[in-house]
Amino acid sequence: MAARCAGRALSRAARSVINAEYNRAARSQTVQRLTCTAAPGSSSSGQDADRLKAVQFADAEVQDILNRITGLDLNKVFQPVKQELKPPKYRLLTDTQLEEAAHKAGTQAKKLLKMPPVLPERKPIEEVLCEDKMLEGMDKAKYVFTDITYNIPHRERFIVVREPSGTLRKASWEERDRLLQVYFPKNERKLTPPPMFKEENLKVMFGQNRHHAVLNYCLVQFEPDSAEFKRVHALTYEDIEKNGKYNLLWSTRLFGGLVWHLISSQRIDGLLSDMLQRDRVHDAESLVHLFNLAHPQSDSALQAQQQQASGLELLKVIILTYQQPPLVL
Amino acid sequence: MAASIRSIVRAPSRFFLVLQRIHQTQVTVGVLRAPVITPVIRNFFYSSKLLNLESSEKNDHGVESLKDLSRYKDKPWKYLESEEYIERYGSKPVWANYRRNHKGGIPPQKTRKTCIRRGKTCGNPCPICRDQNIIIHYQNVSLLQQFISPYTGFVYDPTRTGVCMRQQKRLNTAIETAKLHGLIPTQLPFVDYTGEDYSNSHGAVAHTPPPPSKTPDEPWYSWYGSIEPNEHELARVKKIYKAYLK
Repeated sequence: MAARCAGRALSRAARSVINAEYNRAARSQTVQRLTCTAAPGSSSSGQDADRLKAVQFADAEVQDILNRITGLDLNKVFQPVKQELKPPKYRLLTDTQLEEAAHKAGTQAKKLLKMPPVLPERKPIEEVLCEDKMLEGMDKAKYVFTDITYNIPHRERFIVVREPSGTLRKASWEERDRLLQVYFPKNERKLTPPPMFKEENLKVMFGQNRHHAVLNYCLVQFEPDSAEFKRVHALTYEDIEKNGKYNLLWSTRLFGGLVWHLISSQRIDGLLSDMLQRDRVHDAESLVHLFNLAHPQSDSALQAQQQQASGLELLKVIILTYQQPPLVL
Repeated sequence: MAASIRSIVRAPSRFFLVLQRIHQTQVTVGVLRAPVITPVIRNFFYSSKLLNLESSEKNDHGVESLKDLSRYKDKPWKYLESEEYIERYGSKPVWANYRRNHKGGIPPQKTRKTCIRRGKTCGNPCPICRDQNIIIHYQNVSLLQQFISPYTGFVYDPTRTGVCMRQQKRLNTAIETAKLHGLIPTQLPFVDYTGEDYSNSHGAVAHTPPPPSKTPDEPWYSWYGSIEPNEHELARVKKIYKAYLK
C-alpha cells in the first residue's frame, strides 16, 4: 500500500517536475500538428513546393473528396441493429417536420460516417529514466506504476516500469495499452487481442465477405497508430482489392481509408472500373483528382496540369497514362 | 481399505451397508438367493466413483464419455447436415419439441442442474443431453445459432429452451469463444475519434531529454538536503503534543 502510494507520488512528482523542466525543451522540438506520412510517389527535392506538394490524409481538401466519394446510403448507414426489441414508435409529422427529420437523419449519418484517422506507425518507446543499482535483485517481478489521475488524456499519462535489475523505464506501447485497458476499460476491448485477428480466422471472415465486421472490431480493439491496426487494415484492403469487393465498404466510414490506401500504393484501376460500372462518374472524377493531388509528379498529374483537364478529361488522361506500379517484392 | 472408505459414507446408507454384508455372506454360502434390491445397491457401492480415489473430475465424466463415443466427435458440425439429423429435427431448432416436466403452471426459473450424473441419465433429459451426437463446440456455428435470437442477438434463457444448467454454461462459453473468433456476428460500439490528439508529442510517450549530469554529491533536486523547521512552529507543535513526547 505504502509502495503504491509512494509510486503514485513518485510518478506525479516525476510528471510535474519533468513536465516543468524538460518538456519545454521537448515541445519546442516536436511538431504540434497531427502529421501523416507523405505519399510514396511524391518527391519534394528541388521542386516548386507550393503547387506540387503532395497532400496528406488529414487535409481538408482530401477529407472533403473522400467524404463525397464515400456516398450516403441512408439504408446502409442506419441498418437495423440487433439489440433489445422495443415496441415501435409512430409519429404524425407535417411536411416541414418531415423535412427537418430527414435533415437530422442526414447530419447523424455524417457523424456516423466520420473516417477513422490514418496515422504513421508509432515509434517504440525506449527510454530509461533512471538506473538504480542498489535496487537490483530486490524482487523477481517488474513493478508498473501508472498515473491514474482522471482528467488527463491517455497519451499524456505517465506509465513507468521498475525492472528487477533496478532500471526505471517508460512502459512500451503494448504495456501502455494493456494497463490503460485495466484501469480505464473501454467497451468491448479485450486485454489480449481476440483470435479473430490471426491469419486463418481473418481468411475465414474474408471468405464470408465480412470485411466491415473485421475492420469495426479492429477499430474497437487497437489504437489507430499501432502496428496491429495497420496490419489488419492492410490485409483487409489487399483482399478487397484482389477480389474487387469495393462495394462492401461503400457508404461506410471505412471506405475513405480503403481509397487512401489504394491511392498511396497507386493501384486505383480496379476501383475506377468498379465505379464506372456502377455509373458513379462524378465519384470517379473526384478519385482521379485526388490521385493527382497525392502524386503530383506522376504522368497523369503532369498531363492534367498541362491540359488544365477537369471532369471527363481527367478520366481520359488517366486511362492513357496509367501504368501498373512495379511489384514490391 | 475398502472398509475405511465405506465408513466415510453418510449415515442413511448404513442400512444398505448391513444389507450388503448379508448379501456377501449369502454368496459365500453358494446359494443364489440374492434379494432384488442388492444388485442395485452393489452397483451403487462398487461404482468406480466411490472406490476410485483419483477421480477428481466428478462433474464432466459422465457427460463427456457419452459424447466421446459419438462418430461426430471430431467434426460436430457434420451431424447437422446428416440425414439422421434432418429426419429427427427437420428445419426446426433442436429444442423445439422439448417440454420440461414440472409441477404446476409456472416452471421453476432454473432448469435442472445436470441431466447426467455418474454416467446415468435422468428421465426426460434436455435437448442437448438426449442426443449423443449434438456436441457443443465453438466451431459448430449452426448449432449455436439455434440458441441465439435472430432479432436481438441474445442467447435464449434455459427456461425457454429447456437445456440443463451445465449445458447452458458450456453453451455460453462456446458462443463467447465463437464471437471472439469472429464466427458469430457481434454488435460493436461506435468508436469516436473526435477530440483526440495523436501527435505523441507529450513527454509521457515521446523522448524527453536526459537530466543534466549530476555529481554523486549533489542532491537530485535542488530542494533536497537538510530543511530546517521554523523555530516558532516547532515550539508550538512541541507544546501541543508535550504529553506524548518523551
